[in-house]
Amino acid sequence: MMAGIMSAEETKLAMKSVVSEMYEKIVKGEPPTMTLPVRTKNNIGFDRKLGVYKYGKNKSIRDATSLGSAKQLLRALYIIEFIEDMIDSGKSSTLREMYYISESWGLGKFGSQNESNNLAEDLEIVTKCLREDFKLRPEEDGARIIGNLTLQERNRRGEWMRINARDDVGDSGYGVPYNVEMEKIEFLEHDINFLMAIETGGMFDRLVENGFDEDYKCGLLHLKGQPARSTRRIIKRMSEEWDLPVVVFLDGDPWSFRIFASIAYGAIKTAHISEYLATPSATYLGITSDDILAYDLPSDDLSKKDIEALNAELSDPRFADSWWQDQINMMLELGKKAEQQSLAKYGLDFVTDTYLPEKLAELGLA
Amino acid sequence: MSGIAQKLASKQKQVAISEFFEKNKHFLGFDSPVRSLITAVKEAVDNALDACEEARILPSIKVKVTKIDAKKDIIELVVEDNGPGIPQKSIEKVFGQLLFGSRFHAIRQSRGQQGIGITGVVMYSQLTTGKPTHVKSKIATESTAAVVDIGLDTRKNKATKSNSGREIWDLEDGEMKKHGLEVTTRLKAKYQKGRQSVWQYLRMTSIVNPHAEITFTDPDGEVHHWPRVTERLPGKVESIKPHPHGIELGQLQRMLSESTDSRLSVFLRTNFSGVSTRAAKELCAAAELDVKIKPKQMSPDQVRALLEAFQGERMFNGKPVKLLNPPTNCLSPIEEMLIKKGLSKTIDSRYAATMTRAPNVSQGNPYQVEVGLIFGGNMVSDKPVEVLRFANRVPLMYQQGGCLLTKAIESVDWRQYGLDQAGGKGVPKGPAAILVHLASTNVQFTSEAKEALADNGEVLEEVRKAMLEMGRGLRKHLEKKKKMAKTKEKFELINDILPAIAKKSAQILDKPLPSLAGSITKIMSAVICEGSTEWNSESKAVDVSIKIYNYTARARAYTILATWPEKSGGKMTNNQYGGRKEATGVWAWKLDTLQPGENITITYSLDGLEKGDWTETDVFYRGSQEIIGAMKMDEKYLEEIRNQEKILNELNSPSQIDDFENMEDEIEDVEPKPEPAIKPPSGQSTLFGGEQ
Repeated sequence: MMAGIMSAEETKLAMKSVVSEMYEKIVKGEPPTMTLPVRTKNNIGFDRKLGVYKYGKNKSIRDATSLGSAKQLLRALYIIEFIEDMIDSGKSSTLREMYYISESWGLGKFGSQNESNNLAEDLEIVTKCLREDFKLRPEEDGARIIGNLTLQERNRRGEWMRINARDDVGDSGYGVPYNVEMEKIEFLEHDINFLMAIETGGMFDRLVENGFDEDYKCGLLHLKGQPARSTRRIIKRMSEEWDLPVVVFLDGDPWSFRIFASIAYGAIKTAHISEYLATPSATYLGITSDDILAYDLPSDDLSKKDIEALNAELSDPRFADSWWQDQINMMLELGKKAEQQSLAKYGLDFVTDTYLPEKLAELGLA
Repeated sequence: MSGIAQKLASKQKQVAISEFFEKNKHFLGFDSPVRSLITAVKEAVDNALDACEEARILPSIKVKVTKIDAKKDIIELVVEDNGPGIPQKSIEKVFGQLLFGSRFHAIRQSRGQQGIGITGVVMYSQLTTGKPTHVKSKIATESTAAVVDIGLDTRKNKATKSNSGREIWDLEDGEMKKHGLEVTTRLKAKYQKGRQSVWQYLRMTSIVNPHAEITFTDPDGEVHHWPRVTERLPGKVESIKPHPHGIELGQLQRMLSESTDSRLSVFLRTNFSGVSTRAAKELCAAAELDVKIKPKQMSPDQVRALLEAFQGERMFNGKPVKLLNPPTNCLSPIEEMLIKKGLSKTIDSRYAATMTRAPNVSQGNPYQVEVGLIFGGNMVSDKPVEVLRFANRVPLMYQQGGCLLTKAIESVDWRQYGLDQAGGKGVPKGPAAILVHLASTNVQFTSEAKEALADNGEVLEEVRKAMLEMGRGLRKHLEKKKKMAKTKEKFELINDILPAIAKKSAQILDKPLPSLAGSITKIMSAVICEGSTEWNSESKAVDVSIKIYNYTARARAYTILATWPEKSGGKMTNNQYGGRKEATGVWAWKLDTLQPGENITITYSLDGLEKGDWTETDVFYRGSQEIIGAMKMDEKYLEEIRNQEKILNELNSPSQIDDFENMEDEIEDVEPKPEPAIKPPSGQSTLFGGEQ
């Protein structure tokens, strides 16, 4: 079974309080409501104790005075009932399965899967449960890892399987499952100095082919774009349990900045569980705005959307420190962005022979 | 029109018809091969419609256009009707002689004010292809049809006939044709599609002649059919005498010189409309003329003085002589309901509104404006709306920009009514079509081409007023549609979703089902109107239901008003809630106070209508709290209805009828005399242009 953070009873109780809010409002002669935190960058703040960004105190009330909101409330009730049933019968389902099951919910039926995903997320936030507590599985594409590290994973037959992510895997590496909690994965041993998370598959394969993991004694992890929850969770566990430095190697554009923020500080959408997912010690390795100039990288002009995103980041509390403000302003001034693979301008080995050693040296990792 | 006849008949030197045609072809409608075909169809179809109307027959008209020689633009046109037919001996006169027939001598609304008549088609065919026109005619009392080829002797300006005979007229279904006329002619012409085409002409004709069935076979063999949507023939139009306000010097002179009356006062009373015995005396006094003066012997100065009295320049007791308006029963409007039907059958739409204004008089000429607006459906939304112009039921297809009717449309700022209009000027854009029909005894055109109506401030204002009314209706419709969608959502919320939330939450918590009343009031927090207008096929009536819900925390009091098609013969029945008539076509109910959570339903049926006649009821309210689903009563709207009512009442008032009856009585002592051949009031365009 997946693990969550709450017991079955706690989960049910938390969900019942959501139902009670609606029921009691009707009894009082008011429109039923559901209260949830405002989910925008204006309502996330740094939690000193946890070292990550969490939702602030701003709440929004979804009340049944418009047809759309009322339908949301009704759907939430159907989801709660469905989750209770799963908890009681020891089953789990994917979010997609739940979307199809809602076909039989009549008025509570979802219009799209996006709607059901969002509502499941709403419930997590309101109840402070994890979707694992709800027995709901994502269909996220998990990361892959290559490097001299050994872990054991419990297979479908319930047996522990020992895997070395260098010797026991093919070129595609060790595939990270959606559940990376203790009862599924245990970390055994490693001989690496740091973990490097990489944005694109092309760069990941380049480093693997060039034997970078062995030359620099590191674990390579392919993020596959915006990283899934399980990817962020496994990075956090490795960082904490093995006390490993984490460096993040991404494209040099506004969207990469966001990916880094979700790894290091917590994503706006999942700020309710930032302490489980975020790795505050992670470092942004590149491509930085300075790199574009310093290495004279082939670059593209910023699009209108890029500029909007950069401006939004300027007022995002997660990018409030001076280093990020400089990086963002510099990119706006340059009006340029660059991909990781633009380093190939100087040959296939430039990234492993020159760029990364230079960048890692700055951090004292090479 | 009679100008042509006189010119041709009284010609001192012989002018060849071909020369006459060549000189005047632009306003005869034969200036291009494309237009020539439309004109030919127009003349034949107008004749068919007029003949059917006079014989009180519901017209079925078939038009077929075939390309004979594409290179030389030779086309064959066949027009067949089910009219009374023409007796054999008259065929030659109708087709071969200009201006044969009665309509040119009477003042009334008629199609024939435009164009040169079917003779023009015969002439044009003869001149362009050398071929005579083949006519087949059957009258009900004969068993066979007369056939004859009519040509023209261009030197003698006379009709020629050949191949005349009789034949049996079998129809496709094997039956014998009872009566009707078929004209087959070959002419130099070009068939073209689009806004200026035979198709468009017939389509427009069909809209304003909802009693006609028209079938058109185009050169590609495609058959277009516009069905009949009413069995009601247009009302019979009466001829009227000219009105002093609409007469000019030349015409007055001729009337005087042709008069056999012995006294001017009698002449005035009997030859003009709107002139009572009193008014005749006052006109004479104003003109400083003896009532006993013999009309035939009046000097030019005296005639001029009389005209000045007519026009109010010479006064009686310091005031212009008060004249009655001419009677307006000489007009034959299509009527709102039938325009709506005509539009709806021709153009697919979501909303249709039409309006027939009360008849009015401008410069002694009775006229009446009718408008229609349809919106939505399959019409394109990024192009200017289609403007459908008509004069006396005849489509106007050219010179749209210079036409009074177009100018009236352009004078409205359509943006406030939900249509696009760059800078609030010009023809608006949107998925709509606008129809304007001017019915008048004297339609004034900008030129001899007779495709655009000449400027006239009064008529323009009348059309503009009707357009504003259409605009308001459209805006109301669009607002209503939006509100209805919103209301529908709210009802779904409280009727379906909220009970489901209550049920599910009670079930999960294992608690009793809570009462919803309080939540519903809070959610709706409004007074809501739900209306339905449905055709009941069993009772053959329109059932209307208006339900008012008070979903607010306070008691509410309202007067509810609703429209019904009173002018089109709709009668209210089963109106349980009572109420009273507020104005023409507007009923009002004063509601009992509605307590919070209460609702009231008003139901009634409308008799005397057909399916599709009435599909949307406008509901208004008087009261402080807004009612969603109804409109706040616009008292100006009521005022406008009452104004129109007043005009109608005045027109039909007994005093005027009395006056006419008195007149008849007085006339008896006057010696009988032949009906004077009165020319239409001048100011009207004639073929030769301002001959007086």
